Amino acid sequence: MKRIEKRLAELSKNNSKAFVGYIVAGDPDLETSLDLMHLSVDSGIDILEIGVPFTDPIAEGPTIQQAHDRSLENDTNLQKIIELVGRFRKKDNETPIILMGYINNFLTYKDLINSSHKVGVDGVLVVDIPGELSLKAYGIDNEDLDIISLISPTTSKDRIQEIISNSSGFIYYVTLRGVTGSSHLDEKEIEKNIDYIKSITTTPVMAGFGIKSKDDVQLLSSFSDGVVIGSSIVELIHKNSENKDFREVSDYISSMKDAIR
Amino acid sequence: MKDNLPDKDGFFGEYGGKFVPETLMYALNELEQTYKTLKDNNDFNAEFHKDLAEFVGRPSPLYFAKRLTEHYSTASIWLKREDLNHTGAHKINNTVGQILLAKYMGKKRIIAETGAGQHGVATATVAARLGLDCHIYMGSEDVRRQSLNVYRMKLLGAEVHEVNSGSATLKDALNEALRDWVTNIEDTYYIIGSVTGPHPYPMIVRDFNAVVGYELIEQSQESFGRMPDSIIACVGGGSNAMGIFYPFIKMKDVELIGVEAAGKGIETGEHAAPLNDGTPGVLHGAKSYLMQDEDGQVRGTASISAGLDYPGVGPEHSWLKDMKRAKYVAVSDDEVMKAFHMVNQMEGILPALETAHAFAYLDELMPNMNQGQHVVINVSGRGDKDLNSVVEIEDIQL
Ligand SMILES: Cc1ncc(COP(=O)(O)O)c(C=O)c1O
Repeated sequence: MKRIEKRLAELSKNNSKAFVGYIVAGDPDLETSLDLMHLSVDSGIDILEIGVPFTDPIAEGPTIQQAHDRSLENDTNLQKIIELVGRFRKKDNETPIILMGYINNFLTYKDLINSSHKVGVDGVLVVDIPGELSLKAYGIDNEDLDIISLISPTTSKDRIQEIISNSSGFIYYVTLRGVTGSSHLDEKEIEKNIDYIKSITTTPVMAGFGIKSKDDVQLLSSFSDGVVIGSSIVELIHKNSENKDFREVSDYISSMKDAIR
Repeated sequence: MKDNLPDKDGFFGEYGGKFVPETLMYALNELEQTYKTLKDNNDFNAEFHKDLAEFVGRPSPLYFAKRLTEHYSTASIWLKREDLNHTGAHKINNTVGQILLAKYMGKKRIIAETGAGQHGVATATVAARLGLDCHIYMGSEDVRRQSLNVYRMKLLGAEVHEVNSGSATLKDALNEALRDWVTNIEDTYYIIGSVTGPHPYPMIVRDFNAVVGYELIEQSQESFGRMPDSIIACVGGGSNAMGIFYPFIKMKDVELIGVEAAGKGIETGEHAAPLNDGTPGVLHGAKSYLMQDEDGQVRGTASISAGLDYPGVGPEHSWLKDMKRAKYVAVSDDEVMKAFHMVNQMEGILPALETAHAFAYLDELMPNMNQGQHVVINVSGRGDKDLNSVVEIEDIQL
């Protein structure tokens, strides 16, 4: 069984929901990213989403944009990130890892992506390719990777159907109109849309974008299969990057984990 | 040679497409549908052409450049005078068209990116006419070098948002405009300024600028009794070039030449010439030639002209390049400054620095042309906006 499926099955057996956490690889540096990956898992993250930095990340708000810029200052690239996953796997062979980024970087390294399951990558999430397009047509063809797609409040019903048929692992429901790190969650709309998606697929649905507080987590996890938190974690990592004392990060993750229903 | 592209998915061969975050798909599909129904609608077209005639001042003249012609003493040189348009550049053709789309779609808020500020001014202008709320994104480096245009936008009632991320130029302004659009998707219309971005923009912006090429067909017939031998246009995103090239794609005897910014020289790597020194990649929603490094990161650009200082190019140009239907060359900042002065002194025309790139290619082209042939330059805009930059570049005390 693939790692994502296995982890989600375990969680559901224990009647709990998933906590997906996002960090940008190479912010503040790759060595520290490795530590942060383990720390995140130890503090309660169930699935790791590793951000692949891009010069022009159009779906990101300022917090994650700046993390991409910092990472690029260190010459981070997809090859080094895949190596990082390999090193992570030496200690942790269970936690699913998804690479999240932009199509241009994935196309540049498509051969590496196509063999990346061997070092322990479990899925890819390409932010800027519409979910009904198959990545295969662009040369990213790896049956062993889950292809995670985004569905947003503005996705039409017929497109939802197509997107679902092209994705595996889980569906990432974008909880707001906006970039990462924004606010203004419309809970009624989110619940209605997630209910609709769940009515037509058995693929689990995670809710992400704009989730920051315990209240957000409590509410959203009550009608989804889990939540994704990015900007808040990235911000706390940056805040503590100078002295590399990341207790604040692990405390934050633990408290969010506790809030998951 | 096909001129019915893009295909239904927005591709010109392998180039183009819609590579955007999911939230934008709805808006792009909505725009595509609207455009499809309005494109052949008589009322819509009548309104568009009335505005072009009465507000923009079209048709723009085709002017015989007598002294330039004598200077090179080979082919006749003709100037398609987009610089005489209201607001001073070809950019207004597109904004007049797109604001009509916004009006038909009932959008109340207008956003745009701008490099040289010409597109920002053209957008603020049409938004003012309809009393719509207008927000312009502009890199802080461009705000500095195009300060006159910034003031013009403000006079027109637009809010100018300075963008400090990345290289603080046109590409970053586009990023920010896209982020605004994702956030305000329902009430906002994004007027893209060139034949770039996701489908359907490259098609829409081309179609609205194609009036330039269609006029040229008639004017060539009237002025010299046949079609031109060569058409030259500068290429940033590529809208003025696409507009004048498009109606000629099928006429294989007409040579189409796009001139990119070689900046400090192609060999230095400090330029803005993706068609000359780039590889296919995806930026701002479309696949096209792109200046990128071996990791697929977008490279920094350099050009004295803010309007050409962009690492990507419209997808249809990439296709025309691969099909060898158009030729893409590049000229350096130094060559551009020389041409800038030449056009001022020989023709009494102050060209935009972007436009001066097209003129700068004459030195190479004209010795190979013959008398009796006809070369047309698309004078995409006037250079009033660039006087501050020129004064700075040439270290002149006013
Ligand atoms: C006068 C003028 N010409 C050309 C350009 C370049 O744009 P495009 O390549 O889309 O025509 C600009 C852009 O600002 C401009 O102001």
